[in-house]
Amino acid sequence: MRRLSLAAGVSLAVFTLAAPLFLERGTLNDVWSLAFAVILASAWNILGGFAGQVSLGYSAFLGIGAYTTVLLSLKGMDPFLSLPIGAVLAAIFSVAIGLPAFRLRGPYFTIATIGVGEAVRVCASSVSFTGGSSGLRMPAGSFDFTRNYEAMAVLAILTVVVAALVKRSAFGQALAAIKQDIDAAEALGVNSTRFKLGAHALSAAIVALAGSLYAINFQYIAPGSVFDFRLSLSIVLMPIVGGVGTIAGPVLGALVFSTLQIKLLSIPALRDSYLFIYGTLLIVVMLFEPKGILGLLRRVFNRRLRRFYADA
Amino acid sequence: MRLLTVESLDVFYGDVQAVRNVSFTVDEGEVVTLIGANGAGKSTTLRALAGLLVPRAGRVVFDGQELAGRPANELASRGIVLVPEGRQLWPAMTVLENLRMGAYPKHARARADAILGEIFAMFPILERRVSQKAGTLSGGEQQMCAIGRGLMAQPRLLLLDEPALGLSPLLVREVFASLRAIRARGVTIVLVEQNVPHALALADRAYVLETGRVTLTGTASELLVDSRVRDGYLGYGSV
Repeated sequence: MRRLSLAAGVSLAVFTLAAPLFLERGTLNDVWSLAFAVILASAWNILGGFAGQVSLGYSAFLGIGAYTTVLLSLKGMDPFLSLPIGAVLAAIFSVAIGLPAFRLRGPYFTIATIGVGEAVRVCASSVSFTGGSSGLRMPAGSFDFTRNYEAMAVLAILTVVVAALVKRSAFGQALAAIKQDIDAAEALGVNSTRFKLGAHALSAAIVALAGSLYAINFQYIAPGSVFDFRLSLSIVLMPIVGGVGTIAGPVLGALVFSTLQIKLLSIPALRDSYLFIYGTLLIVVMLFEPKGILGLLRRVFNRRLRRFYADA
Repeated sequence: MRLLTVESLDVFYGDVQAVRNVSFTVDEGEVVTLIGANGAGKSTTLRALAGLLVPRAGRVVFDGQELAGRPANELASRGIVLVPEGRQLWPAMTVLENLRMGAYPKHARARADAILGEIFAMFPILERRVSQKAGTLSGGEQQMCAIGRGLMAQPRLLLLDEPALGLSPLLVREVFASLRAIRARGVTIVLVEQNVPHALALADRAYVLETGRVTLTGTASELLVDSRVRDGYLGYGSV
């Protein structure tokens, strides 16, 4: 199973990188969306999946990346050079909100993050340098889809690789200890707050990078688009539907999610119903397979394997 | 040498006071047991010593340093390690991962492999279960794994919260035999236990807690023959 998912992952990575050679622009756009979704889901999973800290405030980091890029581009900076700045700002912001929020546990932490996300959206709509609720437009002539696509594809692959490395590292092991029993982790010397802050900052920085690329691609951002609560919700749903705390799960979730989104958006009557469908999906997953699609695949695969050996 | 001094400790859960003005001392190499009925404040005292609860008042002096209210992870890296009640293993990690994670404090990392060998010698069953998920172990095996994990941290003071809870009489004996072996290695132990005969047989000194207060103290052999302890906790008094 591990070898199978590694092979699938590598083929997906190669396909994503090579896609501009044979796909037309419209389809390439869909792959761009997939890469974007993979980044958000896998990055969220570092804190939410590995450390078990479910945050519903991730649109804040996406928005910080997006706004940093647009504002600096308007000042004449190359948009791509603004990426690391947005990532650092998001990481700093994640620590600032993490310090008080990580004092809370479980659902209380989650509720606090909803508040943070909404507060950031309201702030962004009411101050003037962000263009208020009407948003901001990138300077003209700054758009190059191929370059943006490549950056997004590379970032998606790197994010999955980083997540896999984190999961195997001592850092990942400490996050697992925090998730499974935080008191035991503390009682054995794990500074849980520091690790949670670290995981939060890492995932926030990655999400901000994706946010910057999002802004470059769409050329226009507003609080209602990048600081949207529904966006935060989608970021959480993908890894949960795919298989929370795993490497392949968030990728699978992102695949399902972006495919559904593309299909639904092309049907005008269903355009606003996607959250309803995801909600239903979430309930189905929670009830029947809490380990997500990946858990389901593992079960089916293991059964096949057992039957194979029983027959042999 | 005095390793731990607890002075007038008060611990609250919200508005409810669970520990009232508790004082006791532990010398290096000693085994001290806190005994008492359910709700007497034994576990609360231990959790406060481990830093998992913040005492409202009182002093905790460990190795000459005032440590009351410090975070648990700092206390662990100073050598105060709690083996919590109900084991609290990381269920989705293997036995080996649990033990290795126990050696997390910096001072414990260098000798982790040697200690691991000693733990397997003490609990051979753990070596046979190394790649099994901790959540799938039996109660006795989980307790051994939890004690082993605590030892991996190379504690100067090992806090044991009801290590015999819910185990069969045979396993209780096995667990206490391992505690004897740990004491023989010179580890200082504070043991909270409801199995008073076993606890007193192991300990050097004991403190009896009732509704959050220390009501009786003495050497373990004194308390074993004390009529109040016999009546209240040893189960063969005249009721």
